[in-house]
Amino acid sequence: MIKIIKVTGSSLSPSFLPGDYVLIRRSPRLLRNLSPGDVVVFHHDVYGSLIKKVRSNIQSNQVVYTEGTHAESISTEEIGPVNYRHITGKVIKKFSSIS
Amino acid sequence: MFYTLINAIDKYLPFPLAKAHCDVPCGIYDPITAQIDALTVVRMMDLMDSLSDGDEKSRKDFHNSMSRYVAVKEQHAESAKHEIRVIWGDFIKDAHVEKYPQLHGLVHKIMQLGSKCRQTADRAQGLALVDAVNEFAEIFWAIKDVKTKKAKAPYAPGLEMVYPDL
Repeated sequence: MIKIIKVTGSSLSPSFLPGDYVLIRRSPRLLRNLSPGDVVVFHHDVYGSLIKKVRSNIQSNQVVYTEGTHAESISTEEIGPVNYRHITGKVIKKFSSIS
Repeated sequence: MFYTLINAIDKYLPFPLAKAHCDVPCGIYDPITAQIDALTVVRMMDLMDSLSDGDEKSRKDFHNSMSRYVAVKEQHAESAKHEIRVIWGDFIKDAHVEKYPQLHGLVHKIMQLGSKCRQTADRAQGLALVDAVNEFAEIFWAIKDVKTKKAKAPYAPGLEMVYPDL
């Protein structure tokens, strides 16, 4: 499954800026193989739809821990573990407003 | 090219959003505060001039008004510097500087002009500050892919300003 998502907020700046678009893909194999540094879009009960960088992937529990790159990003602890089933997809392509 | 195409589609069929969420409400940046600060500096310089030319003022009133104009000029020149520094420090990223290599030099120029406007009552320095802040605003809105227009401020000193054309 492939989707286009628009980025808002600055916690992944300067890699991802508000107004950028990302192409995301989701498959069970892709989720299992998520690695630190990969960027994922997922649903969070408190914050809604988020885009963050993967910090670690705990395959045995089917969860990933995520983080932002900007100093003001909400922390990994505040986001908590993200279950595979809440992951909308992994970013496979970025379309930036900055050419 | 792909960005332009996707952006055009997004205007008619909006794509879902994903937040790169921050702890504090970020993303609210607007150079208009600095632009109004710079205009205020010129306005205060003009008021200082008009006060010097007046012959009806008592000595006490003269000093009272002049002190107030100088104080406001000081405050707004410093505020213009502060507002530009915040946008430059928090919003401007390496990619923006690559695209607009004059940015760092322009910000430095604004810092120096802001200081000149505090040190002196030279209107030419005030006008240069307005021009430089307008140039910064033009680049800022271009980064955000927002068109701009030039129009005279609808209040004294009525200088030409850069506004987002929404």
